[in-house]
Amino acid sequence: MEKKGPEREIRVDEMGLAFAKIMTIFTIVGIVLMVLPAIAYFMGINPYVPLTEAHKYWRLSANDFWLNVTGRKVTGYSWIFDHLDKTDCLSMIGVLILMITPLLSILAGVVKAENRTYRILLLIAALEFIASILVKSLVAVTSGAKKVVKK
Amino acid sequence: MAWWFWPLFMFVFTLLIGIISPVSGVGGGVLFVPLSTIITPFNIDFIRGAGLVMAVTSALSSAPYLIRKGLANIRIFAIVAPVMVITSVVGGWIGLWVTNAYPDGKYVIKVLLGAIILLVFFIMVSSKRIEFPEVKEEDRDSLSKKLNIWGEYYEPDLDAIIEYTTKNTPVAIVTFAIIGFVAGMFGLGAGWANVPVLNMLMGVPIKVATATSMLIITANAPAIGIYLTKGAILPFIVVPSILGITIGARIGAKVAEIIKPKFVRWLVLAILFIAGVLNIIKGLQGMQIIPPILPGV
Repeated sequence: MEKKGPEREIRVDEMGLAFAKIMTIFTIVGIVLMVLPAIAYFMGINPYVPLTEAHKYWRLSANDFWLNVTGRKVTGYSWIFDHLDKTDCLSMIGVLILMITPLLSILAGVVKAENRTYRILLLIAALEFIASILVKSLVAVTSGAKKVVKK
Repeated sequence: MAWWFWPLFMFVFTLLIGIISPVSGVGGGVLFVPLSTIITPFNIDFIRGAGLVMAVTSALSSAPYLIRKGLANIRIFAIVAPVMVITSVVGGWIGLWVTNAYPDGKYVIKVLLGAIILLVFFIMVSSKRIEFPEVKEEDRDSLSKKLNIWGEYYEPDLDAIIEYTTKNTPVAIVTFAIIGFVAGMFGLGAGWANVPVLNMLMGVPIKVATATSMLIITANAPAIGIYLTKGAILPFIVVPSILGITIGARIGAKVAEIIKPKFVRWLVLAILFIAGVLNIIKGLQGMQIIPPILPGV
């Protein structure tokens, strides 16, 4: 049987389309900002942790990896923001953008929501998303700090 | 082995996972993490970090396309996301407490979790009409009607536009709250559980269930912060994996549109079975009942 395709356009919510548009844009931005510095990193241009060093220690846990390559553990985002001139750290800005892309997409959905109920639901999701980023980052920082103190 | 081999290997490996991911509605971590710990030399910390970024990125890459095609439903996401985000945070907190108070308790839970996944597997194997579940007007709950949950997509297999709605919305919300809690508590992706709930409980077609599950997985993104602040996300493993999964997921999203619903069903079942068995093995080896089969877990 020959398939003709849909006889009419598929109806999709405006809030869904707005959500999808922002998600597409920021996913591409995030991936590009992650990949371009990483290409420079793989070419050996201005790394924070050279690949020849990373190669020796990538079998170790994250804590031991950082202890061996820099002499200290990583707790928080400062290893990224303090070394933005280094290609491997700059590449992590792309990962941060990917992390907040769903939040930006939800906010776009809030703007285009067809009624108050969906606007409120998406707004709650956005607030929880922000709280979740803060909580999960803080939990990691504080648990890392405790380990350093114990040692 | 030369250092450049492993980034190249990760690219090819994740390309294949990326194709499977949007077709099955499972984030990819469920296959990536256990297999990478066996095959590659990377420490589990870096594998878990990369697995999470990969699962979120594959969802971010395929969800917009699936939304535009009517396969991923933003209305269902708007109802599920507020519930799952908060319960996963609470689950994460309690999980940390349990891990500190009862270090071996997590292995017992892993075995139980594996058993639950296998139970879902057997229920799905024995159930009928999961490709296109029928939701009659009298089956719809008042919340589904009030929130006007509906959607439509073109099904090439039937050469027709399929319109669908939902049932059991309040029960599904409670179930998603539990899934979010369990996923947060044990640091798991929730794709394996989203699909059966959307399909069997809420009555949405299997392809809509897998696509909407991808959309829900994007809500896991805040957990990336845990790994970034530990320095467990680094370019040598993440970048080749993301490139592989992104290209693969775009291919997979197109495949998801044209693939036969029956194949999607069997793919979901196969992944559920693998996830169930892997969890049981991880739990049993953690309790030292069986010798280590899966390294690093």
